[in-house]
Amino acid sequence: MFFTTGRQQRDLYPDRMRLLRDESKFAQGKIAILQYFTVAVFLFVLGGYWNLQIRNEELYSLKAERNRIKALPMPAPRGKILDREKRVIVDNHSSFSVLLSRETLRDEHLKPIADGLELDYEELVARLKRFRARPKYQAVIIKEELTPSDIAYVESHRDPDTYPELELIHTERRVYPANGFAAHMIGYVGEVSETELNQPDFAKFQQGDLVGKTGIERQYNDILTGVDGQRQVLVDNKGNERRVLGMKPAVPGQSIELTVDLDVQAVMELAMDGRRGGAVAIDPRNGEVLAMTSKPGYDLMKLSSRERTKEWREIFANPDKPLLNRAIQAQLAPGSTFKPIVALAALEGGFITADTSFNCSGGLNFYGRYFHCHNKHGHGATSLKKALAQSCDVYFYNVGDKIGIDQISKYAELLGYGAKTGIDLPSEAEGLSPSSTWKIRTLRSKWYGGDTVNVAIGQGYLTATPIQLAVGIGGMVMGGIWHTPHILKNGDAPVKPARKADLNLDHVRLVMDGMCDVVNGWGTATNARLPGVEMCGKTGTAQTASNEYQKARNIRLKDNAWFVAFAPRVNPEIAVAVLFEEGDHGPLAGNIARDIVKAYFDKKTRRELSQSGVPAVTASVPSGLPATRTGTMN
Amino acid sequence: MDGFLGRYRNLSVLVIVIMAQLVLLAVQVKNNQDVRLIRVWAVTAITPLARVLEGIRANTFGLAGEYWKLIEIRSQNGALKVDVDRLKLENQYLKEELATAKRIEAMAGFVQRNPNKTLGARIIGAGAGMNSKVVFIDRGSTAGVQKGMPVITPDGVVGKVTASYPTGSQVMLITDPTFACGVVSDKTRVHGTARGQGNNQLLVDYIQNEQSVEVGEVFFTSGDDRLFPKGLPVGPVRVSRQGKLFKEIFVAPAAFERGLEEVLVVLEGVHQQIPDASQMANVGPEAKALAPPPVDPKAASATGLPTGPSQKFPTDADRLMDRYKALGEQQGVSYGNGGKVPNFNAPVGPRAIPKTPVAPVGEQPVTVPPAAATPGTTAPTGPPPGVG
Repeated sequence: MFFTTGRQQRDLYPDRMRLLRDESKFAQGKIAILQYFTVAVFLFVLGGYWNLQIRNEELYSLKAERNRIKALPMPAPRGKILDREKRVIVDNHSSFSVLLSRETLRDEHLKPIADGLELDYEELVARLKRFRARPKYQAVIIKEELTPSDIAYVESHRDPDTYPELELIHTERRVYPANGFAAHMIGYVGEVSETELNQPDFAKFQQGDLVGKTGIERQYNDILTGVDGQRQVLVDNKGNERRVLGMKPAVPGQSIELTVDLDVQAVMELAMDGRRGGAVAIDPRNGEVLAMTSKPGYDLMKLSSRERTKEWREIFANPDKPLLNRAIQAQLAPGSTFKPIVALAALEGGFITADTSFNCSGGLNFYGRYFHCHNKHGHGATSLKKALAQSCDVYFYNVGDKIGIDQISKYAELLGYGAKTGIDLPSEAEGLSPSSTWKIRTLRSKWYGGDTVNVAIGQGYLTATPIQLAVGIGGMVMGGIWHTPHILKNGDAPVKPARKADLNLDHVRLVMDGMCDVVNGWGTATNARLPGVEMCGKTGTAQTASNEYQKARNIRLKDNAWFVAFAPRVNPEIAVAVLFEEGDHGPLAGNIARDIVKAYFDKKTRRELSQSGVPAVTASVPSGLPATRTGTMN
Repeated sequence: MDGFLGRYRNLSVLVIVIMAQLVLLAVQVKNNQDVRLIRVWAVTAITPLARVLEGIRANTFGLAGEYWKLIEIRSQNGALKVDVDRLKLENQYLKEELATAKRIEAMAGFVQRNPNKTLGARIIGAGAGMNSKVVFIDRGSTAGVQKGMPVITPDGVVGKVTASYPTGSQVMLITDPTFACGVVSDKTRVHGTARGQGNNQLLVDYIQNEQSVEVGEVFFTSGDDRLFPKGLPVGPVRVSRQGKLFKEIFVAPAAFERGLEEVLVVLEGVHQQIPDASQMANVGPEAKALAPPPVDPKAASATGLPTGPSQKFPTDADRLMDRYKALGEQQGVSYGNGGKVPNFNAPVGPRAIPKTPVAPVGEQPVTVPPAAATPGTTAPTGPPPGVG
């Protein structure tokens, strides 16, 4: 054996040993660096572990839990709206909506998502801002009623690598009739606003909930609204649903039944189509609203959206004010349709009798001003019945002047003018039944006799809504019983007691006779005569601006056409008021009322036929009168 | 006797030997043979032993020889196997080269005829098979590949880019459970969403049970997803049946029929028309994709569905409106305009009632059919009772 010591080796191989020493030093340095690095990595990992498991354990457990369990809302369908025969007016249909999870939302994704779903980016951002106060785990519905294109977009982009914040859910969407059918009466739904959230009526709602905004939808929102459910699902790390953990089913809202008859409503809609105005038909025996419309209408489907679409803005900016429910909100001078009230006031006050007559020569001076009759040739000697039938202005100038504004006002208010009828719809207008007191209080001015003359023919300060006309006339022809008009047939809404007045039935009959002659005699609306049904009514042609105003501006503004009717003459079952804005001639509104009343009685015949096989006899046209006759214009 | 022989043993032995020799000589003379008897005897005695020994020797040496031969053959066999393997590999390589050349030729042709701006790429990641949901391609962001870009072959849709790196990209295959794209059928033009199922089939979802989809129809990308340009083949329908909420339609992804090697990344997509089913009856899958985009004015009308704006979900109110409109037209009545008084109790001819139209294909919202209709809320759509 041959061994050498290190010293010997150094002596023997000095160069080799130097090299080995250098290499050893180099390796030692490398190893040391590696060791330090390993320790550093270990410490880093340990720190991270400390942070995850000890320092912020609760936070991360919560986050992990939240990532693991996903809660998806299950919006409850609203109750259906049915007509008096349980026919569906407003329905629901299941569709798809897209949710945006705010927990996982990345701001840079918003723009492409908005583009992909054809949403207004600014609107989407504003919408998300409105939800800032809500907990982040509450997702936001950003689009409803998804088309196949939308679904394809959402499905193809909601993978974990693209936009995992997108989620697809089933929702129940409102289905409204097309073409604005009864749009104002039904109303629409929308997302609850900040203002509404501060109101007690909406205390149980929260941001993002759908609530009724107008019409029946608003009035009976509490009944129609259900209780939303929720579905909890277990998801994997890619966001795929693995298991349903729990489900709280949605409770649908209750359906409501209206007093509306879809047959009458449909004809009313068709008869008013293409016009501007409003119409309402009620049953004067109980105040049930049989039909109601307002034109121009609007597509409820376009408004019942969470998005503020272009169409939505157009509807709100439309100068024709399609959102105005003219049947209960148009406060306009009723024109000659007010004459029956003036006649009743005069009869009840004993100022006139059935035989009281005034001479009409086409106009008359009152208080230094000449007041025209619509018939410039004059009606000659005119009785009450003739004055009503032919709508003689001079007759009512005289009557008005004779009885004074306060007597007129008293009876106008008795019939419901100047006050809400109490119909179960929101935002009803009051109209105005002027009086001397009102003028002094409001305008700080004395009431003049000329004002009375104007009011006596339904002009001047007097304004009324179509519902007030229908209810007023309906109650009068019932002998002084005014039922509160209502649309809800079932439900827990308490029935308001009818308002009664002790009217002299002979006086009422006199007025009714005059109104029957309007249609069935030599009146202003013989064009509205119906074979087999004795419909009575009163035309009204109301100026929208004074003659002086029009002359000064050299313009000719079309008058508003009104018609108020009831039928049959004996035991009336239906009262109708029609406002045809800029219709120019009252009888034209009579044409509309005629078809509405015809629809009602034809329906009644069908019902009776189906029940007994024999149609009931309502009333007949007075004998000796021609079947049709060209009416004079009011 | 024993004593005598013992006493004269040597002499006795000599006498016996001489006597024996004389007898044997006599026998040999009597037999008259030239061969010496001793030789015969020796040969006779030795031959069997020699035969055995020779047999042993011969066998032993033969076996060894055979063994060595076998060793040599084995070695030759090994060499030949190596040659065969090499040749097989060469053959495979050449076949693959040929197939690649064919594919590339087809792809080049496809690229030339296809309006989409595409970039060829090779799959480099493992698992281009049916069970692999993600693959890697050799083109990345430096080549212009971006996240979200569609990946296709002339046969059909492969997937989409889910991550783009400088020299490569990750592609989610169409079979991935999180994959989805908008599709439209070539025959009935129904729109749906194809979703990966994690196996070798795609589920086409959101198609109403009432809509008709037949086995064999081919689904193409609809462009609805704003990801894949319209007109790329997805695959033929293998199963079509009624489902709980929607039809259950399973499609075989056409892109995987011939395996995946090279793909095209669509850098700029261009929508194309969906070829008519009749045009595709006699052409292969490649031609389906390459068919020129036909002008498709009959897309909606071919399905028998009316077009135009409309009420998609008519209520009883809509039906009544239709009825009264029809009645007015039938009687020549213009509602609200005076003149002839309408008779609302007159029967309405069935043809006079206009059908409530529906929205054009693809614009109707997708609805979930209800489980059961609510009783007592649906009115008859015909004439009212007693009208006749």
